[in-house]
Amino acid sequence: MKQENPFAQLRPDSRVGIVGIPPLAVIGRLNSLGARIHDLDEPQVNTDMEVTAPFLPRVYCAILRTAVLNALHLELDMIVIDVGPGKCDCALHVSTVLQDVLRIPVIRTRNEDDVPFGHPLCETRMSLLEKLQRITAGVQSAAPYQPEKFPPCKPTAAFWGVPPRDFSLLTHFPDTTHIYGWTRCMENKTPADGELEEIFNADVPTIFFAQSFCAKTALAKFLAAKHPRGLFLDVDVTCSSSTQAKIQAFLELSGVDHASR
Amino acid sequence: MLLADFGTSYCKFRELSESAGHPYLIATKDLPKNLRVDLATGHNGKRFSDRYVNELTALARGGEELIAAPDYVLLDCGSRDIKYVSYRHGKLADMGWNSECGASMGFTIELLEKYYNLDYDTLAVPDRTFSITCGVLGMSHIFDAVTSGISEAEAVARFVKGIALNAYRFSGSPQTLYLSGGLCDNPLFVSSFPCNIIPLGRYVLIKGLEKTARELLSIAL
Repeated sequence: MKQENPFAQLRPDSRVGIVGIPPLAVIGRLNSLGARIHDLDEPQVNTDMEVTAPFLPRVYCAILRTAVLNALHLELDMIVIDVGPGKCDCALHVSTVLQDVLRIPVIRTRNEDDVPFGHPLCETRMSLLEKLQRITAGVQSAAPYQPEKFPPCKPTAAFWGVPPRDFSLLTHFPDTTHIYGWTRCMENKTPADGELEEIFNADVPTIFFAQSFCAKTALAKFLAAKHPRGLFLDVDVTCSSSTQAKIQAFLELSGVDHASR
Repeated sequence: MLLADFGTSYCKFRELSESAGHPYLIATKDLPKNLRVDLATGHNGKRFSDRYVNELTALARGGEELIAAPDYVLLDCGSRDIKYVSYRHGKLADMGWNSECGASMGFTIELLEKYYNLDYDTLAVPDRTFSITCGVLGMSHIFDAVTSGISEAEAVARFVKGIALNAYRFSGSPQTLYLSGGLCDNPLFVSSFPCNIIPLGRYVLIKGLEKTARELLSIAL
């Protein structure tokens, strides 16, 4: 961080946008200051993505295009953007763009946290959509988990990857879907843990997902080829009907029980 | 019980009853507006039935019915898109559905035959090809070739071969490819693949619906 104390200007109810997963110490600081955290990786404004075209190429990670769209429209006091090994070079370059376009502080962080919080949500019985919603919401808190509330279930399918830009693709999975990949790292509060990210369960059909144009497409495709029942999937901004059908057909033809969906 | 595969250009039907006949075809533009069927697939299918099976599932189940080999790749080339399923040891190994970059390839092939008044039964497979990933964009290659003095028939044949090569690579470049869809009846297209082709015809998805009807709906056939 270039500034001595970039958070000194923040007051309770200051609006802080985050991109990626800033270090736990930063999240804890924001929580203690009473700042209102906005996760810019998630769609928050109902505005055409085309608005970002003057600032980012159209062929670019849809998560980061969304972050820029949010940053342009939300009235924020500060943005904290992680550009470390738990995020990507694209975020680093986006931070440069945001620093130029916006009149608020854009703070770069490098999250290399390595204290595991655990990942109970990833293995509990719950709709995949709700699990992802809870995990992504968890980024805004530094509080420890209560794993006893989320006991593990026996998996019938798995989702490997990052939280997608379009959560509708998650609705096709059974409640007994386990989560792997960066989303598991996310819940574990160790986004730069490459070893944890590469783990998968070879015993259940798994969809290996990455956002189109993201560097993680290479890892997703690589691991899908290693998995005996793996399907690589990449989606840009929204999940097309043919992609939805691909997920449905893959799960159905892999013998994933209808009753457990 | 009426089964139907609602395609972009053609719809395929089969009646499942004691007096059931062969499957039959109706051009999509001639479909009765108030038509209802008991089990449907195809991208228009949800409009005509309360029971819908997605196209990849119908294709895979059709392959399971028609192909005895444990390892195979089945490619469906439709008017609007291309899709494939790959089986290894009798189980699904991979699949793909290309509705964007494979856009309108089948439709464009039919359109070009009519526009240039050609007969695909008589066209030879050309030595050269165009690099094509989209039917619509690929047409500019034809116009450029004709402008440069190449015959319309040769240009269209290169286009068709380019589409076949693109579909072949999309499906993983197998040594043997089971082919589904109306293009099975196009000898130029079939001969343009650089691998062994086993054409299964237009009714593979209908066959898949039959399997679904038997298994899920407990229909005695």
